[in-house]
Amino acid sequence: MHDEQDQLISQVADELRAPVALDPAFDARVMAAVRRAAPGRWRLALRWWTEPRPLRVSPLVGLACAAALAGVVVIGTRAVQPRSAPGTVPVPAAALVASTDAGEVVQFVLVAPQAATVALVGDFNDWDPGRTPLRVTAGGGVWSVNLPLRPGPHQYAFVVDGKEWRPDPAAPRAVTDDFGAPNSVIIVGGKST
Amino acid sequence: MTDRSDAALISQVLNGNAEAYGALVARYRERYARFAVHMLGEREDAEEALQDAFVRAYRSLAQCADPARFDAWLFRILANRCRTAGARRARRARTFIRDEAALGEASAEHPAERREWREEIHRALERLEPDQREAFLLKHVEDLSYEEMSALTGAGISALKMRVKRACERLRVLLGEVQHA
Repeated sequence: MHDEQDQLISQVADELRAPVALDPAFDARVMAAVRRAAPGRWRLALRWWTEPRPLRVSPLVGLACAAALAGVVVIGTRAVQPRSAPGTVPVPAAALVASTDAGEVVQFVLVAPQAATVALVGDFNDWDPGRTPLRVTAGGGVWSVNLPLRPGPHQYAFVVDGKEWRPDPAAPRAVTDDFGAPNSVIIVGGKST
Repeated sequence: MTDRSDAALISQVLNGNAEAYGALVARYRERYARFAVHMLGEREDAEEALQDAFVRAYRSLAQCADPARFDAWLFRILANRCRTAGARRARRARTFIRDEAALGEASAEHPAERREWREEIHRALERLEPDQREAFLLKHVEDLSYEEMSALTGAGISALKMRVKRACERLRVLLGEVQHA
């Protein structure tokens, strides 16, 4: 009886493994959407400048660079005190700035003294790192942007230096997105969760 | 010889050659279309979910931590899209109608009895809970290990084993009724 049942499941699986027919225009539709989403030349150029790439140097030059960097880190650490650590420092989470016809204007802030670029991505901008760059305040490493958002919950994250996705360190709750990356959540019309 | 591995194609795409993505679409569309059609039941919905998964993967390609495992990463995105689409459809309270066009080519090759048997299988599949249907398809049709299923769905291995077990039991009951009718 059990063998007969297992045979039934095998038969079901075999039938379901048969290929299914797709619209012949499927590939063309996908590629048309991909081309619309493709980054422009200036974004490719920005990526070239902001992406890390391997650099080979001799041990002697490497030692000299390490010594120079150590000096920069000491000076930099003094400059950002009393913040607790280099990198990302929590500040108050995304905050309501004003209300407009387009929604409520929310200010997103990230302290990232070592970042070259910071962008905001979320369900409100199709997770496109090219659409909502943050501006840095002079010398402080504090990045911010104001954005009108519709009322309701929104998932978001920051993209640092074009490729590192970070949840908002000041938002107490994060959820995991489709790609396994943690996102933060803000509820416009309520408080950040 | 040109390297056409997933990792090499992804590298080309990230360096600005969006057309290289077409090779990845062609490579994975059929396998993942099968999963999407069985999950959603209608070819139109399945193609929409699959297209959405491909475009979302393209937009986030720099996030793909292991380009050599692009297929598993894409599958995870698609499984999430199918869940979202399934939930949206449930909210719309639409009838779950199997798409004859999606199955027509294959079933036309078989005699009438076999076609009826296929229809019964799809009808039974539609009557499973979505998480049980997903677990059954991943285990028995896509031949994933429980570890791979866990990584893909985020569910624990024990929970997945239970879903597969219940799906098999339900299918045995539903299809046993047909066989003994």
